[in-house]
Parts: sequence; C-alpha cells; structure tokens
Amino acid sequence: MMFSSLSSQHSAFPFAANPPTRAAAAPPETRCEYVRVRSAPPSMAPHGFGRGFSRSRGLSAGCSGRVRRFMEGVSLWMAMLLVLFVQPLYAEANTGNEDSAGTLHFVDGKGQWQEPALVLGSEFDVRVSGLIADSKLVRTFKNTSDDWREGVFVFPLPEKASVYGLTMKVGERTIVGEVQPRAEAKKTYETARDAGRHAAKVEQQRPNVFTTRVANIPPGAEVSVELSYQQLVSYRDGVFELTAPTTLTPRYMPGEPLAVAPQQWQGGWAVPTTEVLDADAISPFTVDVADVAADSHRASVTFTIDAGLLLAQVFSPSHAVATQQDGQVVTVEPQAGDIVMNQDFVIRWQPFAGQEPGAAVFHQQWEGEDYLLAMLVPGRAGKARLPRELTFVIDTSGSMAGESIRQAREALQLGLETLLPGDRFNVIQFNSQPHALFMQPEMATANHLARARQYVSRLKADGGTEMAPALALALQGQGKTAGEQADESTRVRQVVFMTDGAVGNESALFDQIRRQLGDHRLFTVAIGSAPNRHFMREAARWGRGSYTSVQDLADMSGPLARLFAAMEAPVMTDIQVTWPGQSGAAMEDSFPQRSGDLFQGEPLLQVVRGVPPAGALSVSGRLPGGGNWQQSLDLQQAASGTGLNRYWAREKIDSLLDDARIEGQEPDKERITELAVAHNLMSPYTSFVAVDKTPVRASESALLQDNLPTLLPAGSQPGMVRYPQTATFAPLMIALGLLGLMLSAAIALLQRRAYP
Amino acid sequence: MSRSLLLLITSSAMLLVFGLWVPIKAVVAQELLEIAWAESQARQTESRPWPWADTWPVAKLSMPELGGSMIVLAGVHGESLAFGPGQMMGVSGPDSTVVIAGHRDTHFRPLEHLEPGNELQLQRRDGRWQGYRVSATRIVDSRSEFIDTHQLPAGTLLLVTCYPFDSMDAGGPLRYVVEARIDDAARVANIEGVHSQVRLSPAVLDEIDTVAGL
Repeated sequence: MMFSSLSSQHSAFPFAANPPTRAAAAPPETRCEYVRVRSAPPSMAPHGFGRGFSRSRGLSAGCSGRVRRFMEGVSLWMAMLLVLFVQPLYAEANTGNEDSAGTLHFVDGKGQWQEPALVLGSEFDVRVSGLIADSKLVRTFKNTSDDWREGVFVFPLPEKASVYGLTMKVGERTIVGEVQPRAEAKKTYETARDAGRHAAKVEQQRPNVFTTRVANIPPGAEVSVELSYQQLVSYRDGVFELTAPTTLTPRYMPGEPLAVAPQQWQGGWAVPTTEVLDADAISPFTVDVADVAADSHRASVTFTIDAGLLLAQVFSPSHAVATQQDGQVVTVEPQAGDIVMNQDFVIRWQPFAGQEPGAAVFHQQWEGEDYLLAMLVPGRAGKARLPRELTFVIDTSGSMAGESIRQAREALQLGLETLLPGDRFNVIQFNSQPHALFMQPEMATANHLARARQYVSRLKADGGTEMAPALALALQGQGKTAGEQADESTRVRQVVFMTDGAVGNESALFDQIRRQLGDHRLFTVAIGSAPNRHFMREAARWGRGSYTSVQDLADMSGPLARLFAAMEAPVMTDIQVTWPGQSGAAMEDSFPQRSGDLFQGEPLLQVVRGVPPAGALSVSGRLPGGGNWQQSLDLQQAASGTGLNRYWAREKIDSLLDDARIEGQEPDKERITELAVAHNLMSPYTSFVAVDKTPVRASESALLQDNLPTLLPAGSQPGMVRYPQTATFAPLMIALGLLGLMLSAAIALLQRRAYP
Repeated sequence: MSRSLLLLITSSAMLLVFGLWVPIKAVVAQELLEIAWAESQARQTESRPWPWADTWPVAKLSMPELGGSMIVLAGVHGESLAFGPGQMMGVSGPDSTVVIAGHRDTHFRPLEHLEPGNELQLQRRDGRWQGYRVSATRIVDSRSEFIDTHQLPAGTLLLVTCYPFDSMDAGGPLRYVVEARIDDAARVANIEGVHSQVRLSPAVLDEIDTVAGL
C-alpha cells in the first residue's frame, strides 16, 4: 500500500536531506512563527498530561478508578498521536532555511506576492486638431519604499505614433530630454544612473512597444516622465477613431528558447528565442488588477477634439464617457474618473450625416520647407460583385482565451452570413498547429455552412500562436484543372484573419505575407481589449487588405458590417498621385510612395515635402471593370496644420524600413538616425534620454530595480496554465480534532478530581 | 458543564473523522481505480471507476525508488484529486508534455523525497510504460508564475503539488514542481516489469546518492 511505503520512506529520508535547490527561501522569522504556533500543542500536551497522570496516582482506589485508568490510557495514546503528528511540523519548520535564495521576482521569502514598490500613475492629455492628434502622456513613478529605486516599465503607444519629446519632472525642476542614437542614449543613461543623478530614458522596442527607465527615484518621492507623441486620426466611412492603448496582451514567442540557464522570470515571463531575440524586452510581467496597489496602474484621460466641423456624436465603445461641447470643440473624459489600465481607451466621433468630409488639405512651414498633408475620400464606385473565395482564419491560441474567443467566434459567424451561393469558403483555426475545416475551399451550400457553423461554435482557445503555418495554409494556391482555373481566375480571393496579434515575431510574418500573398487579399480583424494593432495594420497593408478592430460583443456588428461591405465592393487599384509642379524631388518626398488599393469608404492619405500650397493635386485610379477614375483637389484651400513635418519624417522612416524589407537588406541605419535626430523623433535607432546635472544619490546607498508589471487585458484569461490547488484541510482537521479530544480528556479528568 | 464537554468531544471527534476521511478515501479509491484501470486497458476505452464518477483513469504513475504507484485521473478538479492525482495536460503523443497534479496530503506526499536522477514511470492506456528521469525540483509561487507549456521541451513530465509539505494551510500559494524528462534507458530497463524495479530500488538509490554526493 502506498501509505505504508510512505512511512518507511520517512525514516529513510531524514528531513535535513538535500533541500530543493532554487527554492523560494522563507526568511527565518516566518519559520519562527510556524514554530511558535505549531509547537504550542506538543509543549502543552506532555506537561498537562504529566500533571493529570501524577494526580491520578494519588487518588484513592474505587470503582471510578477503573474509568479513570481507562481515561488515562486513552489520553496517553492521544497525546502520543498528537506528538507524532505535530512533530514533523516543527521539524520541517526548523530545517530548510539553507534553501538557496529565491530567484522569483515579486515574491518575498514568505512566498507572498509583493506589490512593486513603485506606484504608477498615467495621464493622457490628447488634443485633436483636424486629422492630427497631439498627445501628452505623463507617467508618474511614486516610490513607496525606503530604498532608492530604478523603475522599468514596458508600455504600448498607438501603432503609428511619432514620439517627439521627453521631459522629466523631479519636484519643481523640469529636465528636457533629447534624441540620441540608441547605443549612445543607453550609455548616457547608465552613466548618469551609476553616478546617482536623476535620469530617464525611453526607447522603442517595436513600433508600438516602448520601454521607459527612470533612475534614482528617491525614497518616498515622485518622478514623472512626460512623453509627447502625435498620431494621425483614423477616418473611415465617415467615422473618426482614436485609441489610447493602456496595456499589452502577453505575446507568444515562437522558436526555441535561447537561454539554457535556469529561467529567471525577472523582467517578464518570456526568454529570448531563436525567432524572437528580444522576447524579454517586449514581455513585461502581466498581473491581475487586484495584484497592484489600489492607486497604481490608473490613468486619467482627457480628449479635446477640435475636428474643424460640427460633430453629431462623440462616443467610446470601450468606456462610458462624459462629453462637454463648446462650439466646435468637444472635451471628453471617462465618466468614472480614472480608468484602470487594462483596456485600450477608444474614442470615435462622427459629423452630421451628409457633412462627412470628402477631402482635406493641411499645410505647414517648418525650417523653411513646405509640408502638405492631403486626404481624399473617393466617391462610391458602382457595385459589381464578383464570386469570391473566402478563407476565414481564426486564432485559437491561449492568449485568446476568455472574452476574445467569444468575440472571434461571433465575428466568424457574422462573416459566414455574408457568403452567397456561388462563393467558395473555408475555415482555418490555428494555435500550435493549424487545422482546416475542409481540405480545400468548398461551395457555400447550406450543408457546408451548417458544418462550418457547428465547427466554429465548438472552437476553444488553448496552446501556442504559430501563425506562420496557418498563413501558409490560407495563402496557398491550389493546383486545379484547366477548366476550373478559368472559373477561378475571376474569383476574388480573400482571407479574413481574426486574432489579437499577440506574437513577438511580427517582422518575419510580414515577410511571409509579402512572399506568399499571390492574388490574395488579407483582411485583419483585431480582437480583444489590447490587441497588437501594429501587427494588425501592417499585416493588412502587406496583405493588400484593410484592418478593422472590434471592442466588445456589443460593438461588433458595426465595424464588421463595414468591413464585409468593403470586402464585397470593388476595389480601386493602380492609384496614381500627381502633385503640382511634378518635380523629381516632390515625387521622391511624397509618402506613401506606392499607394495601396482603396476599399470603399477608405480615405487616401498623402504627405509631401517641398510642394507649396498652390495648384491642384490629382489622383487617378482604375476600377475593377476596367474604367478609370480621377479626382483632383485644390491645394490653395489648405488649412494650416502642425506636426506635419514629424508625420512626414515618420512616413519617410517607415518607407526606408519597408524598402530594406523588400530588398532583404539591413535598413539604412545612418540615414534613419540622421532623419530622426533632425526632426527630434524616436525611431528603432534613436532613443530619448533626459539627465539631470547634479547627483542626488550617494554612492553608498544601493539602487534597486523595479520592473513594473502591466495589467492583464480585461476579459482575457491568463495565457498560461495556473497551478492548481493541491492541498486539503485534512491535516488541519486531524490536528484540531486531536487537540479538541485532548482538551476534553483533560477537562474530564480535572472535573473528576474537583468533584469526586 | 458535562453537556458542553460532550459537545466538545463530539465536535472534535467529528473533525478527526472528517480529517481522516480524506486519506482513507484516497487509499480506498486507488484500489477501486486499479480495477477501472485494468478494465480501461482491456477495453481501450474510458471506463469510470463507479457509475457516478465524473473522472476516469488515464495513466498509471509509478515511482520505483519510493516504491509507490498510483492511478492518474483525468482533470484537476476537486473531485478527481480526492481520489488520485489528476492530469492537467495530455498523454496523447509519445513526446507530449504531461502535467500531473496531486494533493500533497495524500498521493503526492512522496514527491518531497524525489531527487534529480530518480526514475519515474508512466503507463499509458495501451499498456506501454514510459520511463522518465527527474531533472529538477523547484518551488514556485502560483500567483506570479504560470506553467508556460510552450516553453517546456518535448517529452517533459511535470508533477505539481502544494508546498510546504507539512503546512496546515490548504490555500497556500507555493507549489512544489518536479520536472522529469523522457529517459529511454529507463524504459528499456522497464520492460522486465515494475516489480523487478521495485526490488532493485535500494541499489538504484545508493547509486544516486553517490552521484548526488559528487
């Protein structure tokens, strides 16, 4: 029997046997507490028992003597049991202190979750003017400990944000940061940190993931870091949208782990892998809201929207908001005051019906150069529907568990409804491996659709996020007979990709999309509270499709209906943009250089340097039927704008990075650095750093590093498996039961002694 | 006075009985599970140990050095853990990752004596034994660490139980994790049968002690 073998092993393995290595060591004081509490019963038991024993000896013999002797026997045995049972408790409590020091982060010796010593506050102040949103994001690090701290925080920003400023505030003083090449900034920061001076650094890990480091936060004091960034407002189908991202969905890192060393779990949960070399830099520890201080990870949000036209409504699909209108300017704040940073804050605004802008031009002069930003919404092109081959790809990885998979299932069901007889379709799900519903796309018959519905309703989220094989499966061209080929040539091939984009190897996936796309078009649907919008947008761009994000089940039908409508409508291709003057320089300095295709309701955006606001911009394109389409825009009516130079520089940098990707070469690092420094911009090769002049921390006091966690996105389940609960109340109940019986025996004996 | 004493005695006795009920149930259930396991091996189907059970045997875990073997049940909900260790993750493929959790007060009590180098064996429903060798033991905090199944190498067996072993607190956050890797040598030795392994165990133990002593 198991238990007999167990007890024999007890003696074979003394408790002082090799303690487990790499254990979270309990500090002596915790163990002492164990001893005090647990050792009380045995120390009391023999004592009390001994007294009872001697007393009973002294009692005169009688008929009650037999009962007493029996009671004595029983209590002796119970005392023995209790001692035997409790002994291992303090034996264990006394050993094991030599356990190696705990390497677990955020856990103290008692095994208790430790809140980070730094309390993080955030403040978004977003001002929208026309098409450009200018944001000030203040991160406040409050040190609640008695040690000097260095705070490290990994955070998201909008996917197309141009970061152009950093200021650090310490008490009354303000230190303005500057752009430096990445390596140089790192050195500047580390030198200042080691010298005990106030310093802050922000660097870009991904186009939408940044790391801020703040050195030498004094005990009990506060240091705040203000980031300035701007982004373009997204405009589609007459609705403007802007997002303030607050957290990151933990990402899946494909490939083999590089580190053979014991897992450290220090900065985050991921270790660098062969495919994601910087996995540890983009995966901060993700915790539940309840695990941080009550005032930490809260953000105050203020949007001031000056759209340049009267608005019919301003609303947020993610949070309840209160709006205040003053002429054309609308101020928006969340109703609940500060928001918890576990869900992206999304705000949308809409002009009155019929007054949706169809075109806009902005002009700015910066350092003697003209910058122009033009937006043009092509009118509706006729409706000539072609038969389609639609492939739905749905992410069923662990990061989608919870609310996300419900949204994705719902979105897929909506997508299946758009299929008409004559269309072909397939459903592919993927986690660690892809799985297709049909061997190859099938006709959209009632039978097949019913099978697909059932398949979709049973999808569960679990496992890894191996996107590459799923994309390959969705984008593969099937070998067909000549007759079928003729039929297929007119078919529009579309792939709808529903995911939270929680992967670390974005770049490799873009390459794959570009190579395997063929005549497919890839549409991405971002799911969840904090999707990786950078991945969604870029995947759609490389896939010549468009990107849509949904916020929750209630919000789903609107954006998805627009997406499916746009997918059904014909697409304008071969778009040519001609700026007045048409010099070579203007051609080279207008971005995006190769305009993608335009879907219904999508605006065309162009930014150019060196073109004065005179003449007309002409745009032409081709309709799917073969017809041509042309529109022109008078540039003299340009309104004055700000930040156009930064937008232009960001587009230029992106275009340089794109070129490098297409040619499969290393990006032109020097040129990008030069451009970023000239326009005071953050880039993959430049970071912001702010350093104070005078040292504040004496060299003898230590500086402790605090990696701040991010919050688990609302509605999502932890991506990884939680350890189950594996203990019972049995030992406690046995101990209490024995103790109670001992006590009653003692009382009974005493009673007999007192009242014979 | 005597009435309150009686009350104290009965409530304590009740507590004791309930407390003892857990290990007794665990021991008795394993006997019943042996029968169900034999049946499911014979029929190659899921066979429930008793008609109303919401779990069924999926594997048999043996610890030759500690001389114990036990039936592993499906799922890690309270119902299955009361009767045997529960399997959290699949025993599907030959190289799949297996995670088994058990109560520290009953079946997985012996885990504290497992040391790196010790042998573990897992029998699948097809009757094939798979040998594993313990590679590491460690203590984790269940609130700040998860089982990252993607990063476990193929052919890993994780045994999870609560820690510390002699704690009275049933809701503690610490877990004791034994990590084992597939060991083909162990499997070959195993073909001779489990019983010979059990007899061999003292020799194996000695050998391991010397290795650990280095």
